[in-house]
Amino acid sequence: MKTITVLSGKGGVGKSSITASLAVAMSKENKIICADCDVDASNLALVLGVKEKDYSEWKDISTNQKVRFDLDKCGSCRKCVDNCYFNAIDWINNRPRLREYSCEGCGVCEMLCPQNAISPYQVKNAKLGHSRTRFGFDVVSAQLKMGESGSGKVVSEVRSLAAKSPADIVLVDAAAGIGCPVIASVVGSDYIIAVTEPSPSAFSDLKRALRLASHFRIPCGIIVNKFDLNKSQTGKILRFARRSKIDVLAKIPYDKSFTYALVNLEPLIVYDRSYTSMFHEIRDKVKQNIGL
Amino acid sequence: MSIIGITGGKGGTGKSTVATALAYELAKEYNVLLVDADVDCPNDHLLLGIKRCKVKAVMQRIPIFDLKKCSRCGLCSKACRNNAVVSIKGKYPLLMQPQCNGCGACFFKCPSDAISWGEKEIGRIYSGKNHNINLLSGELAVNEPVSELVVNSLNKIMETKKKQYDFVVIDTAAGTHCPVITALEKCDKVIAVTEPTPLGAHDLKLILDLLKHMGKETRVIVNRSDIGEIRIVKNLLKKYRLGISKKIRFSKKILESYSKGTPIKLDLTGIIGES
Repeated sequence: MKTITVLSGKGGVGKSSITASLAVAMSKENKIICADCDVDASNLALVLGVKEKDYSEWKDISTNQKVRFDLDKCGSCRKCVDNCYFNAIDWINNRPRLREYSCEGCGVCEMLCPQNAISPYQVKNAKLGHSRTRFGFDVVSAQLKMGESGSGKVVSEVRSLAAKSPADIVLVDAAAGIGCPVIASVVGSDYIIAVTEPSPSAFSDLKRALRLASHFRIPCGIIVNKFDLNKSQTGKILRFARRSKIDVLAKIPYDKSFTYALVNLEPLIVYDRSYTSMFHEIRDKVKQNIGL
Repeated sequence: MSIIGITGGKGGTGKSTVATALAYELAKEYNVLLVDADVDCPNDHLLLGIKRCKVKAVMQRIPIFDLKKCSRCGLCSKACRNNAVVSIKGKYPLLMQPQCNGCGACFFKCPSDAISWGEKEIGRIYSGKNHNINLLSGELAVNEPVSELVVNSLNKIMETKKKQYDFVVIDTAAGTHCPVITALEKCDKVIAVTEPTPLGAHDLKLILDLLKHMGKETRVIVNRSDIGEIRIVKNLLKKYRLGISKKIRFSKKILESYSKGTPIKLDLTGIIGES
């Protein structure tokens, strides 16, 4: 089983649109499964035309703990407040109060309380589900619940559920950024596709994302989306790729079809057949790179 | 003094475009601080043509093991819920540095007093100025997971400086969790920037639920309003009794200024002036 991860650093450059179309292209030759690892705001299933009701199963999962204070037992010693590294405890009327958004569930307060007034509980911080797309392959998704933390661990859950399927290829759609959830999406991947667009912002973010890839020594390729919107900036990206010896898998022109495909809840490759050969070419290049 | 947050849920909807345009407009009359809290991928300095200078390094504490005192009991590893301390029976503990968030569980658990504190750099804070806008920009180091610690550091600096300003504009990351929530906590008003697609609406709903829960006064801007299906956003907003405060039409001019690092002129002050 090979894992291919699509990332970009900057959001909104076309990660999910490209992942969905590549998934359809790959599914014609291999058994694949998609893992939507943008658990903050999961969109891949939507792009693949899967609706909430189409999910065969949604289950609550817990990857995080939080604490409760038994104020009757509290001796107002302040050890919990003073030793919380995440400033997750407020001190009000000589008693602790948890700032739930900030609690990392590390357990230090509970460990230090001399009165045993603090007890941990498992938080159901996300829901995890999978569904069959109408293209014959499955997509695994998760959504972190409002105000909850622990996105990296939720991403790991999504990937381990996807890895249980008998697929040849897992296609991972990562979140924007390069922090915790993206690191969890990248670890152990066989190949990375970095999507970018010709703007100084996207280029700067691309370089940060690629440094993450090189830290883990994962081979990667670049897709330049909307390349014709700024040809001199595209030139910079292409020169950078050549210097860094990174494959350019495709240059995709700006096309409103991307947006209209989204509005119609269809992958671009299905909405506009003229993209078929482009995505087949990307597929073939990627497969060659991972030895499939 | 008023603190305005710019967020949206989905990436690439135009948060930074709106944040810089708003700061640019306000800075003509007022003292403005722009805080780039998208610390994973900060871009506001690029959009404003600002060369940033380093203000400080953001440090996070990490445990240092004194192996002479260590009894190899393994309790440190058991106490760590991030799997950052690995201990094989009878062997000395090993720190997996990137996983460590500095919580201190190992330090407090150690019965042999063998752990002391060191630190690692997890990010940097920069500042700069152009177009009369003072910029504070946070940047997470590559391969460091805890973005919100850098946002926290930005918040602390902002708190000490905010009195000098009439307006603080905070530009958040994409997403709806830790680093975004931390950036929004201090805001008086929040502008959510979205696009008229099912994805934009899906993520807007998540951020509106969060803002409602946090009790933040909210405005909505629809970017590239003429490409897609605006009805999708309107239908969602009805449920929140919100209207669209501003529509920004797609324009190659905006894209060009974006690429060149010049701020875009949009009439936005009306939006934050409404009560």
